[in-house]
Amino acid sequence: MVQFSLPQNSKILKGKYYKDKSGSNNLKKVNVYRWDPSTKENPRIDTFEVNMNECGPKVLDILFKIKNEIDPSLTFRRSCAHGVCGSCAMNVDGVNTLSCTKSHSDIKGDLNIYPLPHLKVVKDLVGDLTTLYKQYESVEPWLKTNVGQKTTEEIKQSQEDRAKLDGYYECILCACCSTACPSYWWNGDKYLGPAVLLQAYRWINDSRDEDKKERLKKVADELKLYRCHTIMNCTNSCPKGLNPAKAIGSIKKMLATS
Amino acid sequence: MENKNNPLSPHLQIYSWNVSSLLSITHRIVGVINTVAIIFICLWLVLISLGESNYEFIQIFLQSFFGKFFIVFLSWSFSFHILNEIRHLAWDMGYGFDLKISQTTGIITIFGSLIFAVLIYLFGRNII
Repeated sequence: MVQFSLPQNSKILKGKYYKDKSGSNNLKKVNVYRWDPSTKENPRIDTFEVNMNECGPKVLDILFKIKNEIDPSLTFRRSCAHGVCGSCAMNVDGVNTLSCTKSHSDIKGDLNIYPLPHLKVVKDLVGDLTTLYKQYESVEPWLKTNVGQKTTEEIKQSQEDRAKLDGYYECILCACCSTACPSYWWNGDKYLGPAVLLQAYRWINDSRDEDKKERLKKVADELKLYRCHTIMNCTNSCPKGLNPAKAIGSIKKMLATS
Repeated sequence: MENKNNPLSPHLQIYSWNVSSLLSITHRIVGVINTVAIIFICLWLVLISLGESNYEFIQIFLQSFFGKFFIVFLSWSFSFHILNEIRHLAWDMGYGFDLKISQTTGIITIFGSLIFAVLIYLFGRNII
């Protein structure tokens, strides 16, 4: 049975309030989800007053400022800081996005930052994506072909065939889309979710791959694929501007017409 | 990794709505209501076929405020379901996935269903 409310140990409490010490007149209140595994306490929302006069333009800059100047225990994942690695995916102002490409001046009023939704929290803004990675592995995201064993030559692809992968190969697996999907929230253990299905489509759609039929067969499942009800939260949240809903729609169409 | 006791991050509680997600859940709720309504309409037809006194009973109900509300609501819920289903059929054929298009068709569905409901009501009352 689907549980719409949060379990008892996940109910969010009011946390600490960190008042600004710089005396700046340009302050932004930033509410951040905190949970410390070393205590047995429930998660809480800490509020930080951040001096925006001395802060970079991105949400990630705010997090760094808090970590460097206010509370060094704040935990979040980040690496490249320009939207390529997908580490700093989190829920900013109600929508999943990469905090390193999201400009905070777009957001009026207080800034709310949560981890990616409906994940087990490891610490603060870090969610556990183990299930998603296992599902990714299950679609066998690598080229399957017999040609390679016969020849040492490269496997060629026409420009038209290559263009068919545009909009799919750019995916950085940040998991913004999957964790934005209500179907994935309720059936995340069985439903593959938009990120993994987009990857599945990327390989189904690759002209060099010789395992298309098997791939389609594997994914054609009431729970794995057809839990997608075109809610479109995935496409709405994708920080790379890709369209997982369309990829899933294309797989469904392929199955219906093959 | 072992994390049975770790909290679950908030989901429905914090995620912001947009046109497509709102329409999706409405589509579902309206679908359930319509199914129940169809059963009700069938019962109504059965009752009519059983005799005149039954017809009067229904007539009184439908002319009450609640009855009228019921009819107007159903004209909306059926219009909505049909219009949104057209979106779904287009998606099944591979069209209309672009963010802007799906948003536009969503807004058309909302206003279209309201206009249809009013039209059906006016048509039913012989005003047009």
